[in-house]
Amino acid sequence: MEALFYNADDGYLEAIVRGYRGSILNNTAYINLTQCETLDDVKLQLGASDYGSILQNEPHMSTSMLAQKCTDKMVQEFEYIRAHAVAPLQQFLDYMTYAYMIDNVILLITGTLHERDTHVLLDRCHPLGVFDSMPALCVATNVAELYNSVLVETPLAPYFMDCLSAEDLDEMNIEIIRNTLYKAYLEDFYHFTQSFGGPTAEIMAELLQFEADRRSLNITINSFGTELSKDDRAKLFPNIGRLYPEGNLKLAKSDDIEQVKATCDVFLEYRQFFDNTAAGSSKTLEDRFFDYEVHLNKKSFQQQFHYALFYSFLKLKEQEIRNIVWIAECISQGQKERINNYIPIF
Amino acid sequence: MTESTFFRSEEMSLIQLYIPAEVAQPTVSELGELGLVQFRDLNPDVNAFQRAFVGEIRRFDEMERQLRFFTSQIEKAEIPVRPTHPSVYMSRARSRQELDDLEERLSEHENRLLQMNNSHETMQRRYLELVELKHVLRETSDFFQEAASHQEDIRHSFDEPTAPLLDDLEAQAGPSDGRDHGLNLGNVTGVIPRHKMQTFERILWRSLRGNLYMNTAEIEEPVIDPSTDLTVEKNVFIIFAHGREILAKIRKISESLGATLYPIDPTADRRRDALLDVVRHIEEFNSVLVNTTQTRRQELMRISENLTAWMTIVKKEKATYHTMNHFNYDVNRKCLIAEGWCPTNDINTIQTALRGVTERSGSMVPSILNELRTHKEPPTYHKTNKFTAGFQAIVDAYGMARYREVNPGLFTCISFPFLFAVMFGDVGHGILVLLAGLYLVLNERKLANVDGEMFNMVYGGRYIVLLMGAFSIFTGMMYNDIFSRALPWFQTGWVFNVPDDYESGVIVAEPNGHTYIF
Repeated sequence: MEALFYNADDGYLEAIVRGYRGSILNNTAYINLTQCETLDDVKLQLGASDYGSILQNEPHMSTSMLAQKCTDKMVQEFEYIRAHAVAPLQQFLDYMTYAYMIDNVILLITGTLHERDTHVLLDRCHPLGVFDSMPALCVATNVAELYNSVLVETPLAPYFMDCLSAEDLDEMNIEIIRNTLYKAYLEDFYHFTQSFGGPTAEIMAELLQFEADRRSLNITINSFGTELSKDDRAKLFPNIGRLYPEGNLKLAKSDDIEQVKATCDVFLEYRQFFDNTAAGSSKTLEDRFFDYEVHLNKKSFQQQFHYALFYSFLKLKEQEIRNIVWIAECISQGQKERINNYIPIF
Repeated sequence: MTESTFFRSEEMSLIQLYIPAEVAQPTVSELGELGLVQFRDLNPDVNAFQRAFVGEIRRFDEMERQLRFFTSQIEKAEIPVRPTHPSVYMSRARSRQELDDLEERLSEHENRLLQMNNSHETMQRRYLELVELKHVLRETSDFFQEAASHQEDIRHSFDEPTAPLLDDLEAQAGPSDGRDHGLNLGNVTGVIPRHKMQTFERILWRSLRGNLYMNTAEIEEPVIDPSTDLTVEKNVFIIFAHGREILAKIRKISESLGATLYPIDPTADRRRDALLDVVRHIEEFNSVLVNTTQTRRQELMRISENLTAWMTIVKKEKATYHTMNHFNYDVNRKCLIAEGWCPTNDINTIQTALRGVTERSGSMVPSILNELRTHKEPPTYHKTNKFTAGFQAIVDAYGMARYREVNPGLFTCISFPFLFAVMFGDVGHGILVLLAGLYLVLNERKLANVDGEMFNMVYGGRYIVLLMGAFSIFTGMMYNDIFSRALPWFQTGWVFNVPDDYESGVIVAEPNGHTYIF
């Protein structure tokens, strides 16, 4: 059914996103990049790709500048799509930016607590998650005040209901706040995408379920040995993943990585995350998560007439920037042994 | 060796050149100017950045970046760049010394420009602050008068029991300390961009729970933000609130939103003095700014004279080194081996050019040209002149003819304009097209340097346009169409024999023997 009405509103934007997807670096380009000796060679190689135009006017190359420019380009592309979108695609794209908003809010709060300069903090915020009253976050001292003065008019307001109880802002609590916010956001996003039905709902369900499970696993593994109680931990797991409800219960009770592995053995795809005996691979758990994520995002491009394309495009672009920065860092620091630890996309 | 004709593509031969390493760059430059050789890549499996001359190409990349920087600066300052005429001066290869000189000059210019830009920006920023301060001083005089009147009301609204206390305070804090208006009312004054005004008000209201009195006024002239070079419209705001904590909070919020704060004295006299001061400073700064802009403009004008020439030189040298990257380096004889295709009839020209380069550079070792026999299919090369070039381009757009195949371009010279005229067919419009074509053709040389994508397209096809016009006039006569109206010059060739008792029905026209003259 979507095929009949999708193109009227969103056909142009889908075409644009597919064009952007075509410009994502493929494996040959990555191999060429790994053979570069200096950052200037990297600039030469990237000159042939879509990134050429943004890099050609830079006198001195540095990895931070490279990351900055690539992110700027990605933001530009995303903003172009967002400017041309109509509802409901526009709401979908807005939802995608809430994740970055949460990150920015936490960054600003942490920075303010550590007495850093406001403008430096504002520069380090992710551009996709910028909202109007963001600079005023720097004056807040506790969560209630934060909420009342700034956050109540942002789209993040409904996610704060669960965490207004955390009065003091210290290291542990900030992480708890971040994860509570993210849990509420993921669930909200999930229900929003399910309301579309059709391929959007299917593909986004798969992507968001994996994201939820990934966060649950990360929270569990990272909380081994910290003061986070098991109840608190259980409250941070999103309840939309495939591990819900039994997996989440088991994760909440687990004490070491063996139990986590046992929990994940139920699902075929998750089993391979913990498969450390595979020959020759020195991939960390993070790397495997990225691998699987890239695989899911590539799959979403096989179908037409859905919105998950836009989500996948953003994620793949981010992965590409991570790859480029990883390779550039390895080159500039002279540590070429691990340079092949990037995740090839196409 | 067969004669060159336009009927087929040229006969090509595969040649091998042995060029001594010292004269490699002038040789390739010279061959580039001739435009007769297509070089093959002898290092296909070498990476782009592992080739021999990558360092040189990077130097030229750097120079090109500097030239692009100059172009953008010149465009911003709206100085016209002098277009160059293609002349013999341009076409000689540059020696190493000249290129080094050019590189130095470019770096010097860039450094000077960057310095001037920096100082200009700093001064512009300070000037901007002074202008804002002037506006702030002007607007706040009204505010303070208003605030004083509000003070009367607020004081009188308090209950009786507290009245003596306040009177005490007032007596103490009255004339000696003009800062307190009796209720510890402090102020925060500043300037904020207009589009942030709403957010600012909302945030202040929410975080202070409405315990403030705020007044704003717009600054009429938009100011130029020095870092982004855009005009921004700003508002002056003044906030009255009591309590040190609240004032500190207001200051923090306004700074985080990007407002600039200016301390304003509540007393009218000191404000007046400050205003006069500021106006005087503004005058001084204005003159300094004008001076800096003048110097910068002169520097840019000096650069703009040579800009196009430099661009051409840098691009040509880059192309030369790219071509040299295709060559093989023979270590034993210290020369570069190049392979390429060239028209057999032009081998002599190439030999002469090579000899010329050897003589000019004073080298002992001549370059050697070898013809190779091969079974590879040579590329197609059509020799065109200025008339046939346009038609050949149209035909090539559909597809290149194979080697020594009959060249469709020859027939297109007539058939294309004719078919166009068959579709166009109007005497009046045909005359207009013919006149346009004539103008372009007769003023060929003058119009050759005009820049502009659309114009270049039409200029490239001027002979096509000319022929199209001529043929259109002919077909227009055939169709009897002049500006979509018919010409009654020739008699009609048909006659209608209408019988006298005609009511309705079909009447067939009969030919009466007249035909067109031509």
